[in-house]
Amino acid sequence: MSNTKEYVRNRADSKITKIVVDRDLCIGAASCIAVSGTTYELDNENKAVVTGADSVDDATLIMSAESCPTRAILLFDKEGKQVFPK
Amino acid sequence: MTSFKHLIIGGGVAGVTAAETIREKDPSATIAVVNDEPHALYSRVMLSKPNFFLGKIPFDQIWMKGEEWYKTNNITFLGGKTVTALDATNKSVTLNDGQIISYEKLLIATGVRTRPWTIPGSNKKGIYSLRTLEDGQAIMNALKGAKNAITIGGGFISFEMADLLNLAGLNTTMILREPFFWQPTLDESSGMMIEQALTKAGVKILKNAEVSEVIGGESVEAVILKDGTKLPCEMIITGIGIVPPPWDWMKAAGVAIKGGILANEYLETNVPDIYTAGDIAEYKDLILEENIQLGNWVNAREQGHIAGLNMFGEKTPFKFVSFYTTQGVGINIAFVGDVGPGADRIIIPRGSPELNSYARILIVGKELVGATLINRTSELTKIQKLIENNVDVSEKYKELSDPNFDLKGLV
Repeated sequence: MSNTKEYVRNRADSKITKIVVDRDLCIGAASCIAVSGTTYELDNENKAVVTGADSVDDATLIMSAESCPTRAILLFDKEGKQVFPK
Repeated sequence: MTSFKHLIIGGGVAGVTAAETIREKDPSATIAVVNDEPHALYSRVMLSKPNFFLGKIPFDQIWMKGEEWYKTNNITFLGGKTVTALDATNKSVTLNDGQIISYEKLLIATGVRTRPWTIPGSNKKGIYSLRTLEDGQAIMNALKGAKNAITIGGGFISFEMADLLNLAGLNTTMILREPFFWQPTLDESSGMMIEQALTKAGVKILKNAEVSEVIGGESVEAVILKDGTKLPCEMIITGIGIVPPPWDWMKAAGVAIKGGILANEYLETNVPDIYTAGDIAEYKDLILEENIQLGNWVNAREQGHIAGLNMFGEKTPFKFVSFYTTQGVGINIAFVGDVGPGADRIIIPRGSPELNSYARILIVGKELVGATLINRTSELTKIQKLIENNVDVSEKYKELSDPNFDLKGLV
């Protein structure tokens, strides 16, 4: 089993209801923070954690996941379908 | 003559992010990306990560954009090509295959090159540096047949490569010219923490040491140090800094250059309609109020985005407190903002090596300019905000030096 952490997103204008960070893949490059500093922080293990799941719109959230150089951020909609990576 | 509205030289994360940004803003503009490597965008970051090398991350994870992405987005990809001449007056470039392409807006995002290691014997097989996918693959292949490895240099590459070689089961020795790791960017206490973590993991570190000669036939068999010590090894990885790419064509066209290509806060060079982004850009940093050049993924991506907006016509300054993080051998390290040494800097220690959690806060005048963090990456974003907001911390040294004080209280 991979070491993942899930975060519930609950935003009226959003299709994305879950953010998953794969902590094995995450290397703390923190490009997600550069794109969306209100969504993520690093913890003391140098892994991204979600601290503001609802803070940004879908376009910004997707861009933050796309920016990750190890594809450690996965986004899901309410049907459980993976929105990113496609 | 072929012509594109936006011509981007460089297919790394800066160039491709610029292309993507322009396409989002303008569905019909013609865009081309020229890349010296034949590859679509891949994650250069992953190249130095042990999990990737050791197969824990599937190889295909390296591809950030497939070739189809360029097609889908109607972006012309000219892979395996370099620029040989730039005519800034008539706004055209010549490629190495003789093709001449005219542009309205040009972005130079070529990145930089690894500094070559030039000592007797350094042309032998088994000596690697790390920039391209091919470099990474060559190292992956070499791991299989080697028993003894050496890394040269005291920085991120050497740190990550030593971790990797050690995890791959090789007897690994790191050779540092300096008296401690990452001098002079880090202080001795921080350097010692990193050295202790490496040593504990099994990496041997030789300080104040320098290789004078590489011994062997066609391939590396050993190195001789300046003090006469002979160390057998079958592979050497160098991480000794960067040099500019071939850039005579930029100079000849009148593009102003220092350590990198000089640019203002809009990432515009001195030549009209020519922009720059990424590792090669020496840009005016609005927060630190100085010209800086940085080499990392996050910075390159952000600059590509801003350059793209400016090329499209949405004038946007680049304002970003950059950072870099790495981890390995049970320790993590982050640099935020400007961490360069300088007599004008006041340095406040936060935590201690004994606590295995140690930061150095760098202050110029009344404001933070940077920080180095060891095992304190959770403070990265808070420090970034303190720098970005130019917070006056002249009365807050006590709080900054208290490792248990939540820095959020100062933001």
